Amino acid sequence: MNVRLESIGLTTVVVLEGRLDFGAAAGFQARLGQVLAGAETKPAGVIIDCAGLDYVSSAGLRVFLLAARASQRAGVAFAICALTPAVREVFDVSGFSRVIAVYADRAAALAQTPPRPA
Amino acid sequence: MKRHTTVPSDAAQLPGLTQFLQEFWSAADLPPAETVTFELALEEIFMNVVMHGSPEGGVPRVEVSLALCDGCLTLMIEDDGPSFDPLSLAAPDVTASLEERRVGGLGVYLVRQMMDAVSYQRLGGRNQLSMTKRVREPTP
Repeated sequence: MNVRLESIGLTTVVVLEGRLDFGAAAGFQARLGQVLAGAETKPAGVIIDCAGLDYVSSAGLRVFLLAARASQRAGVAFAICALTPAVREVFDVSGFSRVIAVYADRAAALAQTPPRPA
Repeated sequence: MKRHTTVPSDAAQLPGLTQFLQEFWSAADLPPAETVTFELALEEIFMNVVMHGSPEGGVPRVEVSLALCDGCLTLMIEDDGPSFDPLSLAAPDVTASLEERRVGGLGVYLVRQMMDAVSYQRLGGRNQLSMTKRVREPTP
């Protein structure tokens, strides 16, 4: 799985591409940990853009859950957006769409993830 | 149409097994939308075997077979590791809050929800988990 970071204002957008399976989960968890810690200052918000994510298993859901929890404790807004149908199904069946903010696309997620720099 | 493959119980085998499934999918010309259920079931159940089954003196063998009959696809995963029924795992509380959420048992829960039928038996020293789902309308 490819992971690319973009900064939009104070929000870090994590762009995923490929498959988040058992083999990819540990590396992704480490990368998200770095994002949440912040290179210099921690971000105000983190958005995971899943438009290019084809597949997620329970190993991947676990990483999303831990990141959402860590964000909540750190006071960082956390959201997921642009789920493909296959990933959406796994989110819905697992009930994760009820505990993690999921938006239709990046624009909707950014609109709900303040603040932009004044 | 039937295919099967046998691999050691090792996480490093997962990409090859996924490819085995994808090749079957293409060869049988099955609808792409249904593939996620089977890829997920393969990963969740195979990784369960890898995590749970390493008896002394050897790595269990895992046999994965696919059989397509009248539009229903059956994925069977068998291993000669210690007796373990994944269907005996308690279902996770999928309505719990973010802080109270647990991931243990979630993989098997997803498989049970997404497949049409799932059954386990211990037979001849092997765990056998059979998972079936209709993937296309039966031919008239």
